[in-house]
Amino acid sequence: MESLNLKKITSLWIITILVLFVVAIVLGIVMRLNQGEVIKLEPLAFYTNMTTHGITMIGIWFVAGMVSVNYLMERYVKTSYSINLFAFVLTVIGVVILWTCTYIGNFSSGWTFLYPLPLKDSGSAPWATPMYLVALTILGIAWLVWSVSLMAQVLKKYSFSQLLAWQHLKSNPKVETPPFILISTVTLIGVIASLIAAVIVIVLYFAEYFSNGNFVNDALLMKNLTYFFGHTIANEMLYLGVAVIYEIFAEVSGRPKWKTTWYVALAWNCSLVFILTAFFHHLYMDFVQPEGLQIIGQLASYLASIPAVGVTVFTIILAVYRVRIKWSIVNLLFFIGVIGWVIGGLGAVIDATISNNVVLHNTLWVPAHFHTYNAMGNVLFSLAFFYWFSTQHIKILVISNQTLYTMGLLLIGGIGFLIAFYMGGADSVPRRYSTYPSGLASASYLAKIGASFAMLYLGAVLIFFYNISKRCFGILYSSPY
Amino acid sequence: MFRNFIFVAILAIQSTINAQHNISTLDEEKNIYEKISNVPLKIVNRDDVRKFELLYKEKPVILALVFTQCSGICNPFLIQLKNSLQFIKTDKNYQILVLSFDSRDNLESMSKLAKRFELDNAINWKFAITDSIQALNNSVGFSPLWDSIRKQFDHEALLVGINQEGYIAKKLIGVRSHYDLELMIRSINHIYTPSYKLPAKNSLFSCFNYDPLTGKNTPGTGLLIIVLPAFITAIIILFVALISRTKRLSS
Repeated sequence: MESLNLKKITSLWIITILVLFVVAIVLGIVMRLNQGEVIKLEPLAFYTNMTTHGITMIGIWFVAGMVSVNYLMERYVKTSYSINLFAFVLTVIGVVILWTCTYIGNFSSGWTFLYPLPLKDSGSAPWATPMYLVALTILGIAWLVWSVSLMAQVLKKYSFSQLLAWQHLKSNPKVETPPFILISTVTLIGVIASLIAAVIVIVLYFAEYFSNGNFVNDALLMKNLTYFFGHTIANEMLYLGVAVIYEIFAEVSGRPKWKTTWYVALAWNCSLVFILTAFFHHLYMDFVQPEGLQIIGQLASYLASIPAVGVTVFTIILAVYRVRIKWSIVNLLFFIGVIGWVIGGLGAVIDATISNNVVLHNTLWVPAHFHTYNAMGNVLFSLAFFYWFSTQHIKILVISNQTLYTMGLLLIGGIGFLIAFYMGGADSVPRRYSTYPSGLASASYLAKIGASFAMLYLGAVLIFFYNISKRCFGILYSSPY
Repeated sequence: MFRNFIFVAILAIQSTINAQHNISTLDEEKNIYEKISNVPLKIVNRDDVRKFELLYKEKPVILALVFTQCSGICNPFLIQLKNSLQFIKTDKNYQILVLSFDSRDNLESMSKLAKRFELDNAINWKFAITDSIQALNNSVGFSPLWDSIRKQFDHEALLVGINQEGYIAKKLIGVRSHYDLELMIRSINHIYTPSYKLPAKNSLFSCFNYDPLTGKNTPGTGLLIIVLPAFITAIIILFVALISRTKRLSS
């Protein structure tokens, strides 16, 4: 049973995440308005915004997944409140330092801080790069300790093979591994690996930074490690949200709890193995990368995503098709989120195919697909959890007119915003341009359209923010008596 | 004969050192992907005046800028160019245009130059003059300086690679090896030339170790570091699992 302390810390996390989410959306809109020539930012200001937007979004939706999983894991094992609090404090410190680096120190290398950009003079203060790395170290330590702690807790109850549900691959398993535990385990292992990759990248950066030229890094190694971290964590945070769906979708729909089957076990074991090698698809344009790794990148991209998406969609369809279920905003958000995940995932698989990547690489297709499975996928998973968490004491959740309008606003805003990205990608508009050259006539027009729809999306998020935060503040200030 | 060879060899080495001494590595990057000036050319053994455009549209061009009365780099430069091209086994299209940048030169002096190097009948070689050399020099970033005392131009040994669209694809300054010429021929034929940082003492974790002598890559320690996160994760999980198992069994 969840303790009050856990509820309070979860509330604190949710409020913090939503505040940062609103600010990060505003930064995104400012970027699109600049690309649309509605406002004028200096290039340095655009790239500091881009860096802040990227790192904030990745950070908050990763911790959103971790918060949800931590909260629900309490149903199976005792989790550590102290480590949860420790992660919160270090995350806040890390975010404050990151924002200081970008807005005071003008650090502007993008959230992926690809080598050697942070070491080049791009108009940032001399202290900005080491401070940015310090901030990432703080976040990395906090999240690594948190992830290992959760793994340690589940390992107290289940053996390693049970955590991965290997017994479900045989007939009549004696011990049942809940799907939530299976998916959380698979995800936490990936998270730990990606954070260790980040630690290695940061150590190598520091080594070069302080070596006075006596040590230089290998660009290929740095790019591989950076995407080992970046790609993996961006995908794992989505899987954290999927774990939550497996745990509470049936529950809020008034249906029996989902069970692990052989195909669910197999699909998620595939994800465990292949998600760790799918990042090679970020290096298709790097000619020195061995061809074998490029092929592994393409195959792993298929094998990491398709089985997991397949079984989840199959399970969701079975749960709702010709079945009377209690629809509420929670399962509606989950349902729409899965659609966003599938569409974004398809966009990702298209881009991860070598022959397509030649055309789509570094075009707006890339932000198109990752915004699809984040803004219309993972964000909705987390909003659903936040909503569910904040309304647990409410017996019956009904879909009111206000709920429908908010959902409509979210959908119209989100879809319009994404279509502008996809059309730009199809038109070969490059990504990460502060302003577009006159030859790209459609680019600034699409940016304006994207910004307009993003404002509708922001409007819907603000309504969610108000409703969820209000209730979370209530939990935060509640007493045990 | 041998004495001449020694003389040319010494001159070549000396000129190479001189020519390369003052070169900034960035000089070869200037004017890249800019269009060459479409100057009129008078070519040895041809009666008509042809625009440069007609030449490069026919085949990509390697342009060598020389003058016949040169007592410095021009001769060793042309000898080295001729010899190096003999080593290059390629099926790629290219032609060499030796163009005088000295207004004192004429078709006759250029013809003599071609004969001196036994290139007067070489199919791929053309010797020419132009009345618009300043425009051409500007378009390739070539700035010879006239030394009125020595009656000589102070100039670089410059090769310019021009593709069939008339764009400068590569520039080589100084007397260069046949490897560099091969890269130029690839460039003007639109073949992408990948490059990789040469091994250095301060680079410890390269994914590959490139050997410039053999032109081959061998796997380096960097490739092991790429798998390190997965390896460390496995160790951490196994360690935690082992401790947890012991606790579980004891309880």
